[in-house]
Amino acid sequence: MLDDQDLIELDARERRFFDALPRESQPPPRELDHLVSALRAEGFFRPVPRRTTWMIQLAAAVLLVVLGGLAGARMATRNSLEVMLDRTDLTVTDRILLMQRAGSAYVRASNAYAGSVARADSTAVEVASRVLMGAAQAVARSDLDGGVSARLTEALRAGQKRALPAPTVHRVLWF
Amino acid sequence: MTAPSHSSDASDSALIGRFLGGDEVAFRALYRRHTPRLRMIVVRLLGASRRDEVDDVVQETWLAGCRGLHRYTGDAKFSSWLTTIGIRAAYARFGRAGETELFDELPAPEGPGPGAAVDLDRALSHLPDHQRVVVVLHDIEGFTHEEIARHLGMAVGTSKATLSRARAVLRRLLNDGVSHVG
Repeated sequence: MLDDQDLIELDARERRFFDALPRESQPPPRELDHLVSALRAEGFFRPVPRRTTWMIQLAAAVLLVVLGGLAGARMATRNSLEVMLDRTDLTVTDRILLMQRAGSAYVRASNAYAGSVARADSTAVEVASRVLMGAAQAVARSDLDGGVSARLTEALRAGQKRALPAPTVHRVLWF
Repeated sequence: MTAPSHSSDASDSALIGRFLGGDEVAFRALYRRHTPRLRMIVVRLLGASRRDEVDDVVQETWLAGCRGLHRYTGDAKFSSWLTTIGIRAAYARFGRAGETELFDELPAPEGPGPGAAVDLDRALSHLPDHQRVVVVLHDIEGFTHEEIARHLGMAVGTSKATLSRARAVLRRLLNDGVSHVG
């Protein structure tokens, strides 16, 4: 056991040397980040709601709505008459059905047109008759109807030559 | 969240409370405040032969401190509490490799001549581990022999005797010059 009086004491010069020693040492810059990562892995830090996360979620929601709208529009127009007419992969049965749809559409359009004019003016009659004539000629050229359209076309031409007054009945009864 | 500039002014107890609530900014402020001093102590405790282990020990100290922070009562200063953990983490390394023998491979003095602080640091780093630890804790960090004995698990008399022998060696080193001893 050492008595206190036997303890070697520092002299003033040695004391100055000890006092002059640096007391701090800066750690390498990355050490803090490593430590924070280790602590985060142990669950020390609560997740911070970041503004960027909120913005990303908003952007994702907007993108979802836009994509949903586009998909809905595509679904809605996929079987539209215009799209079906442009398709080249239809079977004969599909094309027959397509003709029926187009004819029905023509009738509906004609009825709507006739119903929309206040009176059967000459312009309406001209438009309707030209469309009807064009359709009949197209079918006659394709010879799909065994001559019905050809005869109808002749009748329409004859009617135009007689310059009949405008029909009083607006409904188009064709197809 | 409190801005980092506020964290640099906050007290240790306030930062600890925020850190325990999951505030990363508060922890970073604590680290920046206390690590430079802790690291210097660990550098001196480990000595030159374990210089590459310094940052591992500092990291171990912080991890152990954070894990046990709920047991910190605030009776002692946080820096002292953390230093105690660092001392034990460094001391635990001494059993893992052979001690550096005194006067082995002492480097030639550089820069200022004998007696300068750089020579004292160099001489300290080449003391046997158990002597260096006692000198660092007593003569540099101001620990009492009772505190040293408690932290290192030794008798108070052993701490005093070790310090006396270490001072004698250091005196020879400083008087004769580091490269002339041995």
